[in-house]
Amino acid sequence: MKRLRELWSKIERSPDSMRLAGLSAWRGKERGLAVFAGVFLATLVITTVFAYGIGLSQIFFQTSLENDPYDAKIDLDAEPWENNSGRTNDTVLFSSICDELMSMDEVADCAMIYGRQGIRTTGFFDREFGRAQPLNIESLVSPEGNWENVSLSYPEALESGPPINGDRIVRIAGAGLYDGEFRERHEEQILYGSWPTPENAVELNAVVLPSQLANQAGARVNHTIDEITISYVTESIALPGEIEDCSGTIQASAMEYLYCREEMTIRNMTVVGIYEEWIPGNPTLLFNPIFISDSALTDSQKVILMDNDHGYLGIAVDRSQLPTSSTSEAADWLTDLGEKISDKNYTSEELEVVYTDISGGSIIFLNIFLGLIQVFDYIIMIPIVILSISVLIYGLILSLEQRRREVSINRVMGATALGLQRMVLLEIFVISLAGWFAGYFLAMWLTPLVLDAVGFMSFRTGDFEVDPSLSLTMVLSVAMLTIGLALLFGRSRTKEYLDLEIEEGVRKVVKEREPRRWLHWLMLGIGILAMIESWIEDEEGLGPIGPDGLLENFFIDGMVLVFGPFLLWIGGALVLARVGASGPRIMRTLLGRTPLLKDVRRGLSTSGSSEAIYRLAVIMLLTLSIVTLAAVQGFTGTLVDERTSSLQTGSDIQVQFNVPLTENETRDALATAFTTVGLSESADVAMLTTVPLLLTNEQGEDTNYLTWVLMENNDEVLMWDSQAVPGNDLQQFQDAISSGYFTSGRDVSRDIDAPDSKENRERSGSGEWQGDAEEEFALTLEYNEINIVMSNDTEEEELDPMLLFSLLESDNNMSHMDFSNDDFSGRDLGMFNLTMANFSGADLSGANLSGAVLVLTDLRGANLSGANLSGAAILAMNPENPMENFMQGANLTGANLTGAWGIGNLFPTIQSNETICPSGEPANESGCSLELDIPLEIAMQMGSGMQFELDIVTRNATVKYAGIHTWVPGLSSAEATQALIIGEATWRQLVGEEAATSLNQTKWFINLGSLADENDGNTLRLIRAALEADTRVSSVIDWSSTHRDVERNGGLIFGTPGLLSLQFVVASLASIASAFVFLSLVLSQKKKDLAILQAIGASPNQVIRLTLFEILSIVLVSMVLGVILGVGISRAFNGFFAVFGFIFQIFGGTNTPINRDLIWPWWELLLINGTVMLVVVVALFFTTRRALKADLSMVLKGE
Amino acid sequence: MPAQTLLEVNQLQRGFGSGTERLEVLNGIDMKIVQGELVALMGPSGCGKSTLLNIIGGLLEGDSGEIRLGEMSFGTEKPAQLVQLRREGVGWIFQDFHLMSHLTALDNVALALELAGLEATEAEKQATEALERVGLGDRMDHIPDQLSGGQQQRVAIARAIAGNRKILLADEPTGNLDIATGEDILQLFKELCHREEDPLSILMVTHDPNLASQADRMLLLKDGTVAASDIRSAWGIGGEEE
Repeated sequence: MKRLRELWSKIERSPDSMRLAGLSAWRGKERGLAVFAGVFLATLVITTVFAYGIGLSQIFFQTSLENDPYDAKIDLDAEPWENNSGRTNDTVLFSSICDELMSMDEVADCAMIYGRQGIRTTGFFDREFGRAQPLNIESLVSPEGNWENVSLSYPEALESGPPINGDRIVRIAGAGLYDGEFRERHEEQILYGSWPTPENAVELNAVVLPSQLANQAGARVNHTIDEITISYVTESIALPGEIEDCSGTIQASAMEYLYCREEMTIRNMTVVGIYEEWIPGNPTLLFNPIFISDSALTDSQKVILMDNDHGYLGIAVDRSQLPTSSTSEAADWLTDLGEKISDKNYTSEELEVVYTDISGGSIIFLNIFLGLIQVFDYIIMIPIVILSISVLIYGLILSLEQRRREVSINRVMGATALGLQRMVLLEIFVISLAGWFAGYFLAMWLTPLVLDAVGFMSFRTGDFEVDPSLSLTMVLSVAMLTIGLALLFGRSRTKEYLDLEIEEGVRKVVKEREPRRWLHWLMLGIGILAMIESWIEDEEGLGPIGPDGLLENFFIDGMVLVFGPFLLWIGGALVLARVGASGPRIMRTLLGRTPLLKDVRRGLSTSGSSEAIYRLAVIMLLTLSIVTLAAVQGFTGTLVDERTSSLQTGSDIQVQFNVPLTENETRDALATAFTTVGLSESADVAMLTTVPLLLTNEQGEDTNYLTWVLMENNDEVLMWDSQAVPGNDLQQFQDAISSGYFTSGRDVSRDIDAPDSKENRERSGSGEWQGDAEEEFALTLEYNEINIVMSNDTEEEELDPMLLFSLLESDNNMSHMDFSNDDFSGRDLGMFNLTMANFSGADLSGANLSGAVLVLTDLRGANLSGANLSGAAILAMNPENPMENFMQGANLTGANLTGAWGIGNLFPTIQSNETICPSGEPANESGCSLELDIPLEIAMQMGSGMQFELDIVTRNATVKYAGIHTWVPGLSSAEATQALIIGEATWRQLVGEEAATSLNQTKWFINLGSLADENDGNTLRLIRAALEADTRVSSVIDWSSTHRDVERNGGLIFGTPGLLSLQFVVASLASIASAFVFLSLVLSQKKKDLAILQAIGASPNQVIRLTLFEILSIVLVSMVLGVILGVGISRAFNGFFAVFGFIFQIFGGTNTPINRDLIWPWWELLLINGTVMLVVVVALFFTTRRALKADLSMVLKGE
Repeated sequence: MPAQTLLEVNQLQRGFGSGTERLEVLNGIDMKIVQGELVALMGPSGCGKSTLLNIIGGLLEGDSGEIRLGEMSFGTEKPAQLVQLRREGVGWIFQDFHLMSHLTALDNVALALELAGLEATEAEKQATEALERVGLGDRMDHIPDQLSGGQQQRVAIARAIAGNRKILLADEPTGNLDIATGEDILQLFKELCHREEDPLSILMVTHDPNLASQADRMLLLKDGTVAASDIRSAWGIGGEEE
């Protein structure tokens, strides 16, 4: 009872105690400021890191989900033809389910849609999944545009999932798709016009077209469409069944079903928008349809579609509700939602539904990757968390130090230990609570900004919508951690004071515990080792040390590289701070004899013994080195991203055509694209170049080399990088290439025995400049132009190589057929005639192709691994365009080519040492080559009397060696290691002027000048989309899109730019704040010293000079050391990035030949250091002035 | 030879606070000190002893009145304007010694001299002499922590006497010392005041009647004025003023 009363009285007193504590905190502003700054920074950083993690998951979900506006498809559970209960063909009734679904919190939008039939199975791999068919478009009639020749087949759809349907489809939707969440999700893709509103969808019978289709037809917004004929499925049956009664047409699908399709016609529609096609993702709803408003359907048409199972409900869930802490939780949430929805019966008719999840599948794949990224990001944030906690602890130490005497005196006055402790803790509590509030709210405001970062200190808003709110538990945990830490630390310190003898407490000299210096040095040592190791590995070896560095053991190496940077940072700060604290001594040595310091130099604190000063130096070192690290790695990462984009794209736009085009033809194609986009500029603003390739060999040697030709204007179009060329001087490289020099890829340089030292050739990256070597290394390159010449007695005529091969005969003829992407693995195609058949992308692994006729057979990208090609006749070179190779990218790993013969080069195929070459030998480093070595029996078979010979024109050119290159912008960097680069003049010498003037190529690079940057790169993306519609184009990439991709998952790894920016800002703030706080504390401790100095005759001027030089010297020396330490850490962190880069690569990341050459943003560093200096000077000025104004007699009398 | 007047205070006034809270601490002080005189300043707590000392020493300004010290004349000037006075006129000795804790005895003394504009070598020479004079010739390289209280006070005295200052102002110089050490310090004061060549004057605030009785003269401060200016009248024994 008594205790209860006590407690109650305590509670009653608590507002008063809090007020007193607040007042006391306010009076001791300086010491309070230190605690506030510590708790504030710690809360800010920890909260931001957690909120960032959650936001990152949300963004990750969104990026992976943004490709699909639909989260689920809801079908009626009963099939219509079973005449089951729980089903309806009443559209109104069916769509009223939406009303019930929309009342669920989890559902953001719901729309009635006519399209793919009901799916009543789970998983894409179930054959039943392929049964349900979409509504196909059969024909389209419009008075505008040109729809007659537009292909309505959509073979890409077959390649992007189960081969369900290969035609363009339609999706006919009700108002639900045109408002709310669905509207937002569709609107993002619109290129021209707009996504219809529910009103104009009805009014105009709105149609939205996919861009490729619209571009092919020349369709524009506001064009009218008179008729669209669509086909729906009335019956389907699995093979070998038969459909007996079909009034439409019977079709078969690759999923081995037969369908009966009937047609209906929809009339009077208007195009209101054209959308950029989605990259095919989840195949549930199939891909890139024509959207039509369901107002265009008559009621009877609706009933027909419902009767044939073509009606469903599209669902958008509220994605912000997805649990974002882990992907598996998100997937579970979706599964639960699916069960919740399908477990219920709907409407008065007790309709039963089946729920097909669309987004859940995508999420699962993210699991591992997201986890890795978060680990990486959390590790990166360790320094800043340590930093803020150390500001907190140091602040507490200093502020409590100031209270030591007060505590002891109060003790003498009779205050109880408990009471004193409570007094101190209450004050700390009030201050840290305020710090926590400020930190928490700032963090909440800051996190979305951090997530918007696309480069270092560069932000783009609006890409994602995130709501990174923390759970209450999380908020409380952070509060407990920061405020708790302050209280715990405060408690232990106060207790320490109270345990001291009172006498000792009152004494001003305090015995300091000796710090563990050996530990500091050990940390610094390991840190320096990591830095050197990372440096050596960056440089690919140094002197006698190999590229693996000093530590050969993989595990130890990894550990040192991951933890070393942190040890370097902490150890370095603790050790170097001793130097920083003796800044005055350095200053005294340097300026002691000058008039500046002559009269006060003796007063400069020389020992650096004061703990406060040492701590000031430590904090300056910790913060400024992190500022340096964040700026250096941030800018470096941003530049790596840009370089990667340039490497991948080559120029503003890279176009790959199906057919070779001349420069003028390419320019015409571009002009058409300009018109489509509606640009006023002429296509002449663009600069074009191409990189022809040919096979050359060294005179007298057999080995062929892939040889890339840089045209004279290539430097105006291609985005060269100094890292790509030997010697890093681009102008020197271009000059040399155009005046008869060549460079070689690393692998070739070994073959030709180029004069680079062996070690140099072992490293990656571009080599040193060899153009000025004392002993010039030259190579005579040969190029063979092959013509087959038929000869009889009277005349000589050139034989089309086609004709030669056409003499080959085979009983099994599959010529001219399209088998692209089909599965022929293990099939027997021996002795087949496959002339001009299309096997591009097909799976021919383990197939028997022995003796097959592969004349102009398109094997690009085909998988021929382990295939038997012995004795096959191959013509892989297009006689009209010798640069076009029909075996480009074919995989010949483990294939047997013994005795194969023909024309064409096998260079651009994928080979391994398990590939058996035509010669019967396993492939060596330079790969197999194909000879026109016609087997005798075939020559005999080709008939007597016909004679032919090969007319080979050999031209040669002598080129001088300039060094090793690493890549050519826009071309495969893997091939670059095996290629030679020559200039246009050399090339003309090799191919002859005639061939050179009629140059046509399939790959063109386009520099669009200032157009490229217009509208934040959107113009570039529009031009790309327009070019894609050209039927001659097989693919286009643009710099802006590539850069957007790379920004999010490139050099800095997803999300890291934001963290580094955060680090930069927080560390800068911390350095400024801590400089101010610590300085105030240090100076208030020195107040008495300043008064003594005045009493013994120092003038105000002398006092100011003394203080200024003493403090500024500490700050300045610490600053310089901080930046030096930062430079070291930045270097060490390169190793850390390399380790994580390696891990990411294992989990599906891409490799880039770009080195993380560190960028030194001196200006930014100068700015931050300058600001810190300014703050210090201002703080000094005010505090010293206050000290000078203070009543000297009072200061000297007591405290 | 009649002793020459070194310090003369005329009608010095000083109060603190304002309005009804105002307290006049010094109410028109008149006093003189001649060269070579050791004067003890006594009085009850709060009577203005330290205030008077601070104004004479240039750490506080008076409200009105005038002080003459040798050639210098001051009284109402701000401390910042009295740097010259503190450099050449008065030397300070405090109860807490007020040495720079990170400097050696020699540096503590030399610093004051250098601040006054002496070259480093000359400052060190004079500092050494001063330290030898106070008997610390063998402790020059010790920092205050390594010295006893009495020795620290001697360093402070050396600092005050170095640089030919005319008068030393000592605020409870023995307050933090034991009796024996206090006696030693007073002995040192006497030596400094009574030496043949260039004797110093010392104005010393003290509460210790024993010490005060050893001074040449004693001033008693009461109600803001000098109530008695010799030892007998101060102790109420009666007698004539000098």
